[in-house]
Amino acid sequence: MDTTSVSNGAVPAYEVKEENLSPEDLSEMLAAGTKQVHEKAENTQFVKDFLKGRIRKELFKLGAVALYYTYKAMEEEIERNKDHPHFAPLYFPAELHRHTALARDLEYFYGPEWQSQVHCSESTQCYVDRIHQVGQEDPVLLVAHAYTRYMGDLSGGQVLKKVAQRALKLPPTGEGLEFYHFDAIHSAKAFKQLYRSRMNELELDMETKKRVVAEAVKAFTFNMEVFDELEEIGKTIQEEVLDAGMPVHGEMGGDISKCPYYAAKMAASGGTTYACQMAMAMLRHPTGQVLFATWFAVLAGLAAWYLM
Amino acid sequence: MSNISAFSVPMYSVNMADMETETPTPMPEEEEPLFSNLDLFLFTLIIGLFIYWFMSRKKPDPIPEFKKLETASTPTTRDTSFIEKMKKTGKNVIVFYGSQTGTAEEFANRLSKDAQRYGMKGMAADPEEYEMAELSRLGEIENSLAIFCMATYGEGDPTDNAQDLYDWLQENDDEDFSGLNYTVFGLGNKTYEHYNAMGKYVDKRLEELGAKRIFDLGLGDDDGNVEEDFISWREQFWPAVCEHFGVEPLGDDSSIRQYELKEYPDINASKVYTGEIGRLKSFEVQKPPFDSKNPFLASVTVNRRLNKAGDRHLMHLELDITGSKIRYESGDHVAVFPTNDTALVNKLGKILEVDLDVVISLNNLDDESNKKHPFPCPTTYRTALTHYLDITHPPRTNVLYEMAQYASDPKDQENMRKMASSSPEGKALYQNWVLDASRNILAILEDMPSLRPPIDHLCELLPRLQARYYSIASSSKVHPNSIHICAVVVEYKTKTGRTNKGVATTWLKNKQITDNGHKSTVPMFIRKSQFRLPFKATNPVIMIGPGTGIAPFMGFIQERAWLKEQAKEVGETVMFFGCRHKNEDYLYQEELEEAEKTGVLTQLNVAFSRDQEHKVYVQHLLKKSKEHLWKLIHTNNAHIYICGDARNMARDVQTAFYEIAEEMGGMTRTQSTDYVKKLMAKGRYSQDVWS
Repeated sequence: MDTTSVSNGAVPAYEVKEENLSPEDLSEMLAAGTKQVHEKAENTQFVKDFLKGRIRKELFKLGAVALYYTYKAMEEEIERNKDHPHFAPLYFPAELHRHTALARDLEYFYGPEWQSQVHCSESTQCYVDRIHQVGQEDPVLLVAHAYTRYMGDLSGGQVLKKVAQRALKLPPTGEGLEFYHFDAIHSAKAFKQLYRSRMNELELDMETKKRVVAEAVKAFTFNMEVFDELEEIGKTIQEEVLDAGMPVHGEMGGDISKCPYYAAKMAASGGTTYACQMAMAMLRHPTGQVLFATWFAVLAGLAAWYLM
Repeated sequence: MSNISAFSVPMYSVNMADMETETPTPMPEEEEPLFSNLDLFLFTLIIGLFIYWFMSRKKPDPIPEFKKLETASTPTTRDTSFIEKMKKTGKNVIVFYGSQTGTAEEFANRLSKDAQRYGMKGMAADPEEYEMAELSRLGEIENSLAIFCMATYGEGDPTDNAQDLYDWLQENDDEDFSGLNYTVFGLGNKTYEHYNAMGKYVDKRLEELGAKRIFDLGLGDDDGNVEEDFISWREQFWPAVCEHFGVEPLGDDSSIRQYELKEYPDINASKVYTGEIGRLKSFEVQKPPFDSKNPFLASVTVNRRLNKAGDRHLMHLELDITGSKIRYESGDHVAVFPTNDTALVNKLGKILEVDLDVVISLNNLDDESNKKHPFPCPTTYRTALTHYLDITHPPRTNVLYEMAQYASDPKDQENMRKMASSSPEGKALYQNWVLDASRNILAILEDMPSLRPPIDHLCELLPRLQARYYSIASSSKVHPNSIHICAVVVEYKTKTGRTNKGVATTWLKNKQITDNGHKSTVPMFIRKSQFRLPFKATNPVIMIGPGTGIAPFMGFIQERAWLKEQAKEVGETVMFFGCRHKNEDYLYQEELEEAEKTGVLTQLNVAFSRDQEHKVYVQHLLKKSKEHLWKLIHTNNAHIYICGDARNMARDVQTAFYEIAEEMGGMTRTQSTDYVKKLMAKGRYSQDVWS
């Protein structure tokens, strides 16, 4: 297949070395400039565990919450800058925007009152603040954030969807995973190619392009901080949920407060208020109800006997 | 439970019965006549727990129904011999899975469950948990079969749980695998270089080791639709397995059925589907937003023939989308829901001797399934065959297999089954008699008179009629309320002397223009594409679209003209078109020549392939303009667009670009290939092609 170079004297042979290894295209600069930090992100404990299907529902939900605040901020800034020459070519609201899908996912996980139940974590807030800052002060850097998140969602993000669906036994009809489903994108591959061509159409000098790449690295770092935060939270959940055991336990759905053993353990570690909590937890559980009824009957019997 | 320290506290062995009868059990009555509340609580709680524990000992709670053979729970036996396990539990089919994200595992579970329907017993197995060296012993079990669902991970690597199996396969040469019957289904992703490497390796390696391949390697593409790939493969796999083992599917006919027929002689017409894709009456009462589940009925305002002569029929249609709130961009696709030819449907009804107008429903026998019916029900057979079912494509092998039982002639029955099997003769017969001869279901029924399936079973087996997609031939800037289509009617004579017609193109051709008396509508929706003009008007574009491939470029050209009218500076707009004869099928000749005259098209190149002795195609014209093109591409950041035939034209055009890069840029073939690949990755070389 490899033909000999067809070069006559007038045309210099194509020099791969010089021309293409220091690319000027923003898409290539971004890919090269974030390669290292991308690997680092892939290798955080949180992501590694996730890919193996080791993701607890509670953490997944908190992850969705973090994503919600992130995308809400980013898409707000995108709307603000949709006609700005440094962002307009990348304005694809119908294809890309996620905050509505995320809101639906959160409603699925937390119920209709989800808005009052979720809050923005510390790391997420840092990320969100930065997004608002660039959106208002230096919109070209918004490109870096959009690139980092959206391109990721359309690539590895699709793998995460399958993992999550299986690991969390989410319904095949897609609830809880709408974030990962890009309704208006038929081919992720073709869309990424289009997106890259649009990034390259931005008229930017080399200095600015370098700043965009640096901001993308920052974006990765913000994401990793959110992962680490989730990992920390995960450690505190870990013990109780994994130790939990009652016969015929059934699926608690990872909701710690429902686990009677968790409450019992709390009770052991102190305070009569926890005994109450334990009792309440027991009452919610069907076997707890049986026990309660039994106890009540016995108590009634005792009282009757005593009083007679 | 055992953690609850019920038993470390000294307790009175009281039981309920005793308490309720009056026999006073010795109750410690000390100075306090009553226990403190807490004591009482704890006391009775302990009793209660004891009783509960006691009761649950007697009646062990049934573990939630594991209908599936999901051995996701860790096996309680430490047995690593799958042979022993299979013998002990009477299984003859074992499905190993190499799974990372669980998809392959799920497929393995489904396959092991399937086995039952075909008179076999299957189990899914994680290769990490078993002694894989036993594979050579599988022959000890009669009619045994090992299925492998192998996912490829990373750079063509095995999944974590299949690493040992992979190593073992590589190292072992000396075992005797002649007793091993196997099949492999691979899961991979085409965007990766080592597509399905694991699946392919296992399939090949087992053959090398002397094992017997029962059915072809299946390849699932996660970039496309791995579920569909799996289902298609599976549908042909099981019939082949049955054929191989000479096994009849279990039980009587109805046990193979997925759906149950119900007739509705007295139903109210308002409850019957008459062709709607989604909600009942959605064609009468239209409500936005419109999409694939809720198409818009656009009326046809223009339907004219595009070619001046010749025996093909090329057409231009315009669909009115006023009031639909539908938005589109040039380069997008319009999807239409066609209907089958009435004559064809009638013939089917006649040959099967049924009244097509009875109202029926096919209800899924599996209550847990999400898919209640194979198509919207209740409806009539006529509606199903016209609107919902594909009756023109040659039926797949699984359809033949399931219908074989309805052939009264034993020779016919044998042939049907044979064509569904994986034997070389069977495959050849299917290829020859069904595919090469382009026999659709009617042709098969006509040519096999002893075959008379019940129509409801047939309706269960036929695939759904799919929407057809066309590249939109208009720009929304110029025609915001109208969507243009450019298409050619598919019609050809088959080897059996019949004439096959394309479903959608024939249907479109026959759509009359809406006028005062008559309203002709097309159920449609928009599918966004990524085939887009550059953001900047100053960017040069090179468009290559022979034949009906010109469609999206009509939209592009309209848009560039509109930009020019807005006094925007517009970059070079180059068009390469091709057709057979200048005087016959030069589509949109007037529009294109006009655009050239006004300077909207800075260059118009047309190849007439059959107007001279030797064939002239667009790729030849590309080479002729190589200097100019190279300047546009290499220096001026031009975007290249290709639309039309995928098989030959797209490939030939790509080669022409390699040659241009080589000749003008001094590159080797490898370098020019890389160059073009890079243009594709950066979105400067886009294709909208079909085969």
